[in-house]
Amino acid sequence: MAGSHERSGGFMSFQGRSNQKRQWFPGHSLIAFWIPGIILVGVILLALLVIAIPVLRNPEYLVSAAADPAVFQAFLVTFLAGFCAVGILAITGTPLAYALSRSEAPWKGLVETLVDIPLVLPHTVAGLMVYLLFMSRGMLGAPLGELGITFEDAFPGIVAAMVFVAIPYYVNAVREGFGRVPVQLENVARSLGATRARMFWSVTLPLATRHILYGALLAWGRAIGEFAAVIMIAYFPMVISTLIYYRFNTGGIAESQAIAFLLILLCLVLFFLFRFLTRHAGVYDDRS
Amino acid sequence: MMIGVDHLTLTRGNFSLSRVSFMVPDESYTVLMGPSGAGKTLLLETIGGFHGINEGRITIAGQDVTLQPPEKRRIGFVYQDYSLFPHLTVEDNVSYGLRMKGISSSSRKETVHTLLSSFSLLPLSHRYTGSLSGGEKQRVALARALATRPSALLLDEPFSSLDPETRSSCMDEVKTIQSDHGLTILQVSHDREEAFRLADQVVVMDKGVILQAGLPTDVFFNPGHRTVASIAGYENMLEGTAGPEREGMTPILVGGGVIFADGSFPEGDPYLACLRAGNITLTRPDMSRDELVPWVEGKILSLMVTDQGYRLRFDGPFPLTIEVPRHLSSGPVYQPGEKIRAWIAPEDVHLIPLSGECRNRGPGS
Repeated sequence: MAGSHERSGGFMSFQGRSNQKRQWFPGHSLIAFWIPGIILVGVILLALLVIAIPVLRNPEYLVSAAADPAVFQAFLVTFLAGFCAVGILAITGTPLAYALSRSEAPWKGLVETLVDIPLVLPHTVAGLMVYLLFMSRGMLGAPLGELGITFEDAFPGIVAAMVFVAIPYYVNAVREGFGRVPVQLENVARSLGATRARMFWSVTLPLATRHILYGALLAWGRAIGEFAAVIMIAYFPMVISTLIYYRFNTGGIAESQAIAFLLILLCLVLFFLFRFLTRHAGVYDDRS
Repeated sequence: MMIGVDHLTLTRGNFSLSRVSFMVPDESYTVLMGPSGAGKTLLLETIGGFHGINEGRITIAGQDVTLQPPEKRRIGFVYQDYSLFPHLTVEDNVSYGLRMKGISSSSRKETVHTLLSSFSLLPLSHRYTGSLSGGEKQRVALARALATRPSALLLDEPFSSLDPETRSSCMDEVKTIQSDHGLTILQVSHDREEAFRLADQVVVMDKGVILQAGLPTDVFFNPGHRTVASIAGYENMLEGTAGPEREGMTPILVGGGVIFADGSFPEGDPYLACLRAGNITLTRPDMSRDELVPWVEGKILSLMVTDQGYRLRFDGPFPLTIEVPRHLSSGPVYQPGEKIRAWIAPEDVHLIPLSGECRNRGPGS
């Protein structure tokens, strides 16, 4: 018995050593991956600090920016236009993303390239395209103007520019999500009596929720950050990026820094809230 | 006939199903077999209505469904991975089809309860499917497919991802359900044992073409094609030419040796002589045996121990793979390089004519 205890004790202690070694090894090897990552995150953090430190040292600029109705209006316009852009993308981009994920058509590659165009163009070029298309004499601007929708120096113009630059962000993320839903699930749904539309709503869409939300977040972030494309069609009403640029030119760095700090703060809160609220969306498993 | 496929032709990318025709009789269990890439799943999905076709006709329960969408075909489909909806509970998975068909909530609940109960799934009804075991998943998939009372069930390798024990019990369960409900089942399988155990009919296909269809015993003991013979478990396939018949046996000249086959075959015709590895008997050259059984001599190239006994690569006038059961090899074990005599009984040699490789066991069979 004693011998058996000894053996068992020996085995236990050996396991303990082995576990320690196992814990030490992956952590150690991960350092090699963390170092370049920390450099990247460090750059972002430094960029935030160069904005935050001067603003927090002289908080009067921050207080006056927070109380400025023009700043409030710019935030409202920016966020509202961002939400409208995401709404439009959800309605038009979701079906397109699904069609692209399921189609085997030879011209699918051409459509994918077209979708990616706003991604590779300089923002001024994107702005020029939006302006030429939606100006009062533009191909889309003229007929829509007759319906009472004007784009030049108007809210719809901001939305149009935001939609244009955010298309690839939304469509690509959602297409990826649809691509991860196995076609077999859709086939089974149809064999069980679902039409293609009901199958889409009851199976495909719920299973792609995470990617749709992620695409919406990416698109919204891209939309509210757009400057060049927006000012070319609608300098007014001012979006927050236009206002920051305007205050930089007229009020100096301190004034624009304060507004930028407010924008960063708001975005951080909103992004964090979004991620927190959607952390369980599209995750289906009851394994404990 | 419950499922009829008539001259079905379809092209997808570089692969084609070419003039596929076969029938699945009412209330029968048909197993569709073939090597990987033969087009079995594509054929099953096409019957399910998931792919458009170029030509041909598909009938289910006497109705032409060729142009009908999947939701109108009244078929149940079960994939290899069961394709359960991960965002729905077991109960919601089973009731999905009933919801899609607009069945009222009360009768839906009743049907689902009956099905969950008969498949022993009631304790799991509120669980999501991601945490179920393979056997549980399979039961959910079957219950879901049966909920809408389909005319036929199409199963795509439903047992292949199960462990051997679960697999065996699941096969029994499915066979019982099939008999009890009088279901028509068309199942894709790779496994000969599965086909023997379940099938009333076996259909073998390769490269998008049906090679042979019939009773399992017919297909497995009387293959008419090289691929069918391979699926049927004939591991030795030797090409040769028929010699002049002698005493009811035809010699087939293979390489530098001769194999005798029962029956009379036209002299000079090319044949594929098929032999099961387990039907060849081995002895040492000095040991005598039934003198009526022809033999060839050679040496053992390699030897592998299996759960049944030994598996040998034999090199004589032609190469052979031979399986020796453990009880027969309980004497001195053979060694690689050892000289050996392989006895091949004529009744164990199955000949397939090489001109056209049509179904033919030979005259008199």
